[in-house]
Amino acid sequence: MNATQVLLAVVVAVEDPSQTHHWLLPETAEIIYGGLASLIIFGLLWRFAGPAARKGLSGRTARIQAELDAAAAARREADAEAARIRTALGNVGAERDRLLAEADRQCAEILAEGRRRADAEAAEAEARATAEAAAIRGRAGDELRAEIARLASAAAERIVLDTLDARRQAALIDDFADSVRRTAGAVS
Amino acid sequence: MSARAEAYATALFEVAAAEGKLATVEAELYRVASAIESDASLRSVLGDSGVELARRLKIVEKLLGDRAHNVTTQLLSLVVGTGRLRDLPGIVQRLVKRASDESGLVVAEIRSAVPLTPAQQETLVAALQRRAGRPLNVKTVVDRSLLGGVVATVGDEVIDDSVRTRLDQVKGLI
Repeated sequence: MNATQVLLAVVVAVEDPSQTHHWLLPETAEIIYGGLASLIIFGLLWRFAGPAARKGLSGRTARIQAELDAAAAARREADAEAARIRTALGNVGAERDRLLAEADRQCAEILAEGRRRADAEAAEAEARATAEAAAIRGRAGDELRAEIARLASAAAERIVLDTLDARRQAALIDDFADSVRRTAGAVS
Repeated sequence: MSARAEAYATALFEVAAAEGKLATVEAELYRVASAIESDASLRSVLGDSGVELARRLKIVEKLLGDRAHNVTTQLLSLVVGTGRLRDLPGIVQRLVKRASDESGLVVAEIRSAVPLTPAQQETLVAALQRRAGRPLNVKTVVDRSLLGGVVATVGDEVIDDSVRTRLDQVKGLI
């Protein structure tokens, strides 16, 4: 039974005095009072509790919307961060490649420089050794010549001393006197 | 050094001249200076200030003794006592030069490897005197290092005919 049928039964019962009080339906007056009281209560509820309920609902809606917006913003930020990280990763890779290339270049330069220096040092050492060998040869030659001269002069001195007896000493003095006399004649 | 040697030579000259023994003292000092110059140990002892002066002077007296004039001994003692033995050759050289100039003579030193006989010395002096054109004050020195021959110094001129010099020339050529 819907509300219309109930209301109709209530009207019939009121209009028909023969009808006894129904086992289910309340008394007519009670229905009227009850109905009026219900309307008043509904009206009061609508008047006083309605705004608070609507405000609560709209606040919840706004909160949910704010949360949705924050979530969207967080997602955008996360996407941006992810993009940045991807970019950074890309940059890191490029930087790594650049550093590796630079290291290779420097390594090649150091090796080339090392080879050049080693070649130069080897050439210098060779030249030095050659010059030193020549100097040693020269020194050895000089020392040999000096030694020969020393031995020769020592031998000559020894021979001269052995031959310088009293007769030769006297002869040397006489030769000196003759020489002075001759030159005296030339000088005077 | 030369100024000091000159001062000492002047002092020795004045003393010897005042004593009237210039020629004797000059000749004796020359011989003593040559002897000291050629004897390293004697030179070392007489020139060593670490050796007591009295001892050094005693050596001088013993060295000269009666063989030299008293003035010569005193003058040598003066040089040794003042610690100027190192300058003795220069002092004596100046003294001889001054004494020779005083007498109008030219100093001539004849250095030979062996002692000269009187005949050799006479011959050499005559030859050198003829060459110099003036009378000479001759000093003879025996220098074994010459090995042979003679080196004569007349005034500023040196005539070197020693075996040592010839050997040195040969060594230079070698």
